Amino acid sequence: MQANTENQDVRKREMGKVSSIISKLGVYVLVIALMILGTIISPKFLTTSNFMNIIQAVSLLGIVAAGVSFVTYSGNFVDMSIPCIMAFSGMIAVDTLKYGIVVSILCGLSTGLVIGIINGTVVGKLKANPIIWTLSVAFVGSGFMRWFYSGKQIYPDVNGGAAAEVFISLSRTNVFGTIPLIVIVMIIFMILGQFVMTKTKFGKQVKLVGSSYEVAKMTGINVNGVVSGAFIVTALTASIAGIFLTSLAKTGAFYNGEGYDFNAVTAIVIGGMTLTGGRGDVVGVLGGVLVIGLLSNVMTLIGINTFSQSIVKGIIFIAVVGINARSLRKLGRDDA
Amino acid sequence: MNEVFSLDMKGVSKQFPGTLAVDNVDFQVKAGEVHALLGENGAGKSTLMKMIAGAFSDYTGQICVLGENVELCSPSAAKAKGVGMVYQELSLAMPLTIAENVLAGRLPTKGKIFIDKKAMREQTIECLKRVGLGHLDPFSCIKEISQQEAQLVEIAKTLGNNPNILVMDEPTSSLSREEVKLLFGIIEKLKKQGLAIIYISHHLPELFEIADRVTIMRDGKKIGTYNIDEVTTKSLVEMMVGRPIDDKPIKVKNQVLGEEKLRIENLTRNGFFHDVSFNVRANEVLGIGGLSGAGRSELARGIVGADAIDSGKIYIKGKEVRIKNMSQALEHGVAYLTENRKEEGLALRITIGENILAPLLKKHTKNGIYSAKSGASEVLEVMKELKVYPPDPTVTVGNLSGGNQQKVLLGKWVATKPQILILDEPTRGVDVGAKMVIHDTIRRLASEGNAVILISSDLPELVALSDRVKIMKEGRFIGELIKEDLSEETILLAANGEGDKLSEDIYAS
Repeated sequence: MQANTENQDVRKREMGKVSSIISKLGVYVLVIALMILGTIISPKFLTTSNFMNIIQAVSLLGIVAAGVSFVTYSGNFVDMSIPCIMAFSGMIAVDTLKYGIVVSILCGLSTGLVIGIINGTVVGKLKANPIIWTLSVAFVGSGFMRWFYSGKQIYPDVNGGAAAEVFISLSRTNVFGTIPLIVIVMIIFMILGQFVMTKTKFGKQVKLVGSSYEVAKMTGINVNGVVSGAFIVTALTASIAGIFLTSLAKTGAFYNGEGYDFNAVTAIVIGGMTLTGGRGDVVGVLGGVLVIGLLSNVMTLIGINTFSQSIVKGIIFIAVVGINARSLRKLGRDDA
Repeated sequence: MNEVFSLDMKGVSKQFPGTLAVDNVDFQVKAGEVHALLGENGAGKSTLMKMIAGAFSDYTGQICVLGENVELCSPSAAKAKGVGMVYQELSLAMPLTIAENVLAGRLPTKGKIFIDKKAMREQTIECLKRVGLGHLDPFSCIKEISQQEAQLVEIAKTLGNNPNILVMDEPTSSLSREEVKLLFGIIEKLKKQGLAIIYISHHLPELFEIADRVTIMRDGKKIGTYNIDEVTTKSLVEMMVGRPIDDKPIKVKNQVLGEEKLRIENLTRNGFFHDVSFNVRANEVLGIGGLSGAGRSELARGIVGADAIDSGKIYIKGKEVRIKNMSQALEHGVAYLTENRKEEGLALRITIGENILAPLLKKHTKNGIYSAKSGASEVLEVMKELKVYPPDPTVTVGNLSGGNQQKVLLGKWVATKPQILILDEPTRGVDVGAKMVIHDTIRRLASEGNAVILISSDLPELVALSDRVKIMKEGRFIGELIKEDLSEETILLAANGEGDKLSEDIYAS
């Protein structure tokens, strides 16, 4: 009798293993499928330069997503103030170019850090709803920028002097001759993110808080600190992406970074991280970012215009959320 | 023609991926009987009951209700066929009123648009009267009534659909002794009205009070159905676990008590507990008895810093300490096993190993890098001691049976090697096998020079494990029972503020 149940349970566990491998590979299956599709559709697809294009196009998104994934992982859904942080960091960096490039970048990063600390404190310590709070920050921040700069855009080459050239070239520098600096930064952040999430104490704490806030608290985890940390990480990566974006656009403007919040969530969810927290990893998020890049590229090659592209992206987002929820329920993992 | 059963299940099975949760089971319930369904956690009782409730559309076998062959493929189909479910955890919407909950889905209306408040009041009172709660205001919120009343409202809600079959899953797990008596009276009444009642409980003595027949399940199969007078507690347990057991709980000889580990002086959290003082020594298990709501869990939360205390002092090994949160409690060697494992105990979505190592993150971090490997042997060690099944630390905790989850929860705190272990209902809702393992571990911990504080509503457990029992009532310690005087009766009497065995509460060391 006992042996019988053991056999059954072994089978159950093996099934679980297969399903978990599939659910882990999930997003990369999509990546490969899109690559095959692209190869069939256009001979231009399978070239080094096209691939570099794809990766360069999503590198900023990748930097942002690597950071936001910590907020998602901690069970706080998403940081809606990302666009605001990106724009604000960029504008401050441009504004302080007159003091030199180092000061400018440090000021830009500090902007992100300050907003991150505010978000972390309010959501972590004061237990505000993360979406409502960060959305409010986004409104206040963007209003402040418009008021402070009188609704104008600012340009590095006007304000900056010598440092301006360096600032603008940030996003145009290639390392080893061929690989853009932005891509290198994204790859570093992905590796760093994956490492921190899976191999460090902080990562494990975020996972526990995301899996169950109350359990983490009663287990002796400093839950406030962990949630604050997740928001600070997110804000810092967003401000780095914001500085690159401003450099790329040669313009500091309050609307820089628009749409990065939703795109980051899309990448995170496609990458297999659940919005309720505690599940998924940065490798998956990278897959999600690649899917978004490949999708745009393939659709452009087919000749679908930008507006229709966003419809397709939205539909895929809905489908992925649906499939994820369903398979988790099938696996018996949906909270049990 | 045979007798027509209220519920007649013939050869039903339910397959989950990789396991046969219910394996070719025949199960009959007569009208006007209380039929107990017994089995260890994971034996298939819950699956069988979910089948009746219409939770599965892919079961095999035949189900007849009142002689009519039915397909219970959805909860609404089951409801329409007269199946009513009362779950262990309340399924009432807290912010809504009693009436809105009881009449959910069938609110009386005027002209199909406006709610008919008068009819609502009448219908609700009608339902409430059946469970002896006719005096409640139908328009007060669920939040405003007691846990026990809420449990009864839940039953009233189910009765409102006029079921023929009523399934009750552990209805007494959060009730105190008197409240259970009240509930049994109501069950008797419903039985006389011709309802077929299926009663699930781990609390065996209860069954002999209330059940007419009992069906035992093990490993997805039915072991047998008996009249209640054909079985004894011992034979039931043996059928559940599938092997003979020693019926006497091992009463370990009085340990020689060691040094004082924890002393509490005049601890107060206004409104929850007042002027509580006690001490507990090495090798000692101090029981804390009392009715639900006496403030026992709140006291434990106050000691470990989960809630701020208003006044009082805590001494660990003679030194005064201030504990502000769980992390500091752990640093002082105090571990607290919370009573609700699903909310505060275990993160169900992560693995056994991750849960057990959760309090030990710091210990296994070197130079900022966390290594689960360095904790792997500790995990396996506690899993082995507690006989966690399956013995695989990579299994998600949510997939374990309740008994095994509770073992993992205890394992998580045992792994921290606490000197002072506070246990809050360590075996609530677990089966006999798991209970024995958990008790053995508690005994081992105490015998190794640690102090254990045991909060439990399970009287046999309190009697079997404690060296002495403090009785708490309305937030105060009203006395102490020494080992020689410990029995279920003395604790029960004392908890109600009666009994002559209760000594004056002078805490002496």
